[in-house]
Amino acid sequence: MLKTIKILAIDREEIILKSIRKALKGDTKINYMVSSCTTALDGLKLIRSDTFDLVFLDLVLPGLNGIEVLRRIKNIYPAIPVIVMSGFSSSSIHFNSVGQGNYSSETLNSAAGFLLKPFTIEEIKSLIASVLTSKEQKVK
Amino acid sequence: MKLFEKFKYISISTRVSILLGIIILLTMGIFSTFSLIKQKEDSISTISSNTGQLSQTIEKILRVSMLKNRRDDISLAINNIIGSEDIKSIRILNHDGSIKFSSKRSEIDKNISQNNQLCLSCHSKNDKKVKGNIKKFKHFRIDNENNLIYNSLPIFNSSSCYNGICHSTSEGSEFIEKEKSGTNSASLSPHDSSQTILGFIEIEVSIKQIISDLEKTRIQLIFLTILFAVIAAIITYFSIKYLIGKPVKNLVDGTLRVARGDFKQEIPPGKAELGLLSESFNKMQKQLMTTQSQLIESEKLASVGKLADEVANEINNPLTGIIIFSESLLKGTNISDENRNDYETIRQEALKIRGSIRNILSLTRQKKPDFTETDINNIIRHSISVIEKFSSFRNIQIITELPKTLPKVSADPDLIEQVFLNLLLNSSESMPDGGILNITSSYLNDDKEIEIIFTDTGSEIPGAVLHKIFDPADNSNLENFEKIGRSLTVCKDIIEMHKGKIDINSNGTGTSVIIKLPPYN
Repeated sequence: MLKTIKILAIDREEIILKSIRKALKGDTKINYMVSSCTTALDGLKLIRSDTFDLVFLDLVLPGLNGIEVLRRIKNIYPAIPVIVMSGFSSSSIHFNSVGQGNYSSETLNSAAGFLLKPFTIEEIKSLIASVLTSKEQKVK
Repeated sequence: MKLFEKFKYISISTRVSILLGIIILLTMGIFSTFSLIKQKEDSISTISSNTGQLSQTIEKILRVSMLKNRRDDISLAINNIIGSEDIKSIRILNHDGSIKFSSKRSEIDKNISQNNQLCLSCHSKNDKKVKGNIKKFKHFRIDNENNLIYNSLPIFNSSSCYNGICHSTSEGSEFIEKEKSGTNSASLSPHDSSQTILGFIEIEVSIKQIISDLEKTRIQLIFLTILFAVIAAIITYFSIKYLIGKPVKNLVDGTLRVARGDFKQEIPPGKAELGLLSESFNKMQKQLMTTQSQLIESEKLASVGKLADEVANEINNPLTGIIIFSESLLKGTNISDENRNDYETIRQEALKIRGSIRNILSLTRQKKPDFTETDINNIIRHSISVIEKFSSFRNIQIITELPKTLPKVSADPDLIEQVFLNLLLNSSESMPDGGILNITSSYLNDDKEIEIIFTDTGSEIPGAVLHKIFDPADNSNLENFEKIGRSLTVCKDIIEMHKGKIDINSNGTGTSVIIKLPPYN
């Protein structure tokens, strides 16, 4: 019996949702069940109607800012790990958040991981694995 | 007031020259008036003293004739003296005011008015009372209307006058005879010894010539004053125009040029105040030019960065599809499949595009520094908390050695964090199979600097690459380290912006990046 992981992907670009589905399809060890939507409001509706093990969230969304969506998800289900996706460079994830004040920077810190677009199958799978096994690092 | 308002609009050279002209006219006018008055007084006093001496001389000469009662001699002498032009008349009158001898025949035997200035110098008006001392007798009178000076000399009584010497002579006896018989026109009574003054000698001198000479001088002075004022005003006008007007016009033209955005032309500099002003204007212009070009440059960078962001975003989404679907195709094919190489090529090229986009983004992302008192350790911790969430850090152990007390630095936290994130990402890329990343911070007491060291256990960077890794012009030849080179160029720019230093060492055991920053104040 394969282990099932339920994933919700929110991105305004259909190709990203398709790519996530394609990347996670037919894994030999884990059965990924991917639900997806293209707007923030649909995403919030879906997350209320079902239980998910993991959420992929893009920062640029129509209707509602990705940071705000992240804050609401974390408010409702603080235990669900959220991976933030962005097309901006690594440091720009940080800058975008700083530009909106400390509040959003803290919100962004509540993300379980960051996924830079474009990504490879290896990158998305290893990130899921590391987030779900909550990798421990020793920081003195 | 209106005139004053209008005066404001006249050029400075005209204003100053008009003022100078007025000042010269006033001062020279006052000076000439006073000197003319003084000159007139001096001339009159000279004439007065001369006529005074003359009248004394006449009195001495005529005294003998008077004692001997030689009337014709006296008349002859008086008429002979009226030779010179200035002496108008000479008259001898007795104390009662009756003119006994005169060069003007018509006034002989006539009486002068009791209110004559001559009488009034000793006697009260309409009254014969003596009011003053004889010592205060006014010898001179000036008739300004007719330009005449009168010199009056009293003829004092003496023993020779009343002791009857004159009456013992033949001429005297004859005179008395005539007097008694009433045939003598002159009324002469014998002199009384109690009388102090017997009569007066009065000389009338004209000062017409002197007055007309002074008038000529006055006109000449007025003319000279006006001429001098005009010449001074003209000289002042042109001097100011050249010495002040020209440099000021240059400055005004310069500011107008700068306002139009033209910074190239310099104003001719000088040594004095206005010259120094021109020099500082040129300096300001140069500074403005530099600032403007920097602004243009940073604006260019910002707009290029924004464009790159937008383009990257547009490309990133379809590129994700290309990478994922090519990888998926690769997985689903056998090693023997003839299409496998094609799928691999698609994947490799797509990953190259991804690498290029990330490089461009890291290069173009620059912002203006905003320096504040910053705790470096906080930034290190925050950078780690951000970077740990990336999949590439899954197998990397991060060890930090951050002292509890570290002096703060003057820095822009965002920019410093960008440096740390770049260094962390570089390390993760040099350790694709995992490794250890050591981050330490410390205060160097000797150098008074804060030192931050990032050490990884990644692959060695060859020495040939290492020594030119910070040079942006050269890093196109960095082979596989091209990307690290680009991000390090950005790091170096930022650290130098903070007056710090950045250095890199690499050997078989790993690579260290050393950053040194000055403490806050």
